[in-house]
Amino acid sequence: MSLLGLFRWLGGTPVGALIRDSTWGFAIVEMIHLLALAVLGGTILILDLRLIGLGLRRQPVRLLARELSPWFTGSLLVMVVSGTVLTSGETLKCFYNQAFRWKMLLLAAAIAFYYTLHWKVVRSDGGEVGIASRLAGVISLMLWLSVGVAGRAIGLI
Amino acid sequence: MTFLFDICQFLNDSAIGTAIRESDLMFPIIESVHVLGITLLVGTVAILDLRLLGLILRREPVSQIAGQILPWTWAGFAIMFASGFLLFWAEAVKCYGNPAFRLKVLLLVLVGLNPSIFHSTIYRRVSEWDTASVTPARARLAAVLSLSLWSGVIVTGRAIAYFKSALR
Repeated sequence: MSLLGLFRWLGGTPVGALIRDSTWGFAIVEMIHLLALAVLGGTILILDLRLIGLGLRRQPVRLLARELSPWFTGSLLVMVVSGTVLTSGETLKCFYNQAFRWKMLLLAAAIAFYYTLHWKVVRSDGGEVGIASRLAGVISLMLWLSVGVAGRAIGLI
Repeated sequence: MTFLFDICQFLNDSAIGTAIRESDLMFPIIESVHVLGITLLVGTVAILDLRLLGLILRREPVSQIAGQILPWTWAGFAIMFASGFLLFWAEAVKCYGNPAFRLKVLLLVLVGLNPSIFHSTIYRRVSEWDTASVTPARARLAAVLSLSLWSGVIVTGRAIAYFKSALR
């Protein structure tokens, strides 16, 4: 199935129809999307600020990563599911929307970075904030920030 | 209440309010900053609340988490408040009659009262329960209130735009 076909199929599902036809469906799912954003953004901020050497400096990076990772994964999951439901309500608009395409690319890059290089830096933490740690924190923050900005732009263009 | 409305009308018609409203880019840019401010403010507040509830960082002293995080929470608050006021400035008259906006202001007052009470009561004796993995009931209550009220602020904040279109 082509990518466009996938979007068409998503729009044709009962969920897509429900979101399109109901008055408050889109709004409610969007609010859930935003609430999860606060949690996801919070966990990313705390961990990345720590990698840069700011915020919770007295706690080891590895401890923060271990404690926050269920919240990261959980809120990311809620965001992806609610985001997919939102997309199902306006599949063709999203498919042809430049901001949406950028957001998906950046999201893929942010997730890939998080589970590869970022993860490596977190695990190899030796207690000192080195250049690799700072760099990983800054790159991660920039990637996630750009996902958010591109996401906001979907409704504007 | 006409006094409040007059203030809204005045802000709405002022040069700055008009400029933000009529610009293609200003409103969405300020709005994006506002949403990023939410992440900083509510994200850091949530970390402390989850610690109070004993859900994360159970072995770390509460006062240490609070002390290190508070500057970031205030930074988020400053960004939220400044950008939020600019957004209100541009649409003050619409906001005045908007039920979601009114509810949001009410929730903001409550969400401001909560930490004031928390810090002037139970948190004063934090040294007694600083390292407890599960904190006293009143501290946990404050955390639950904080998480629900901030969620309410986010939800009503987003709802402002929907009511605007519903009333138009």
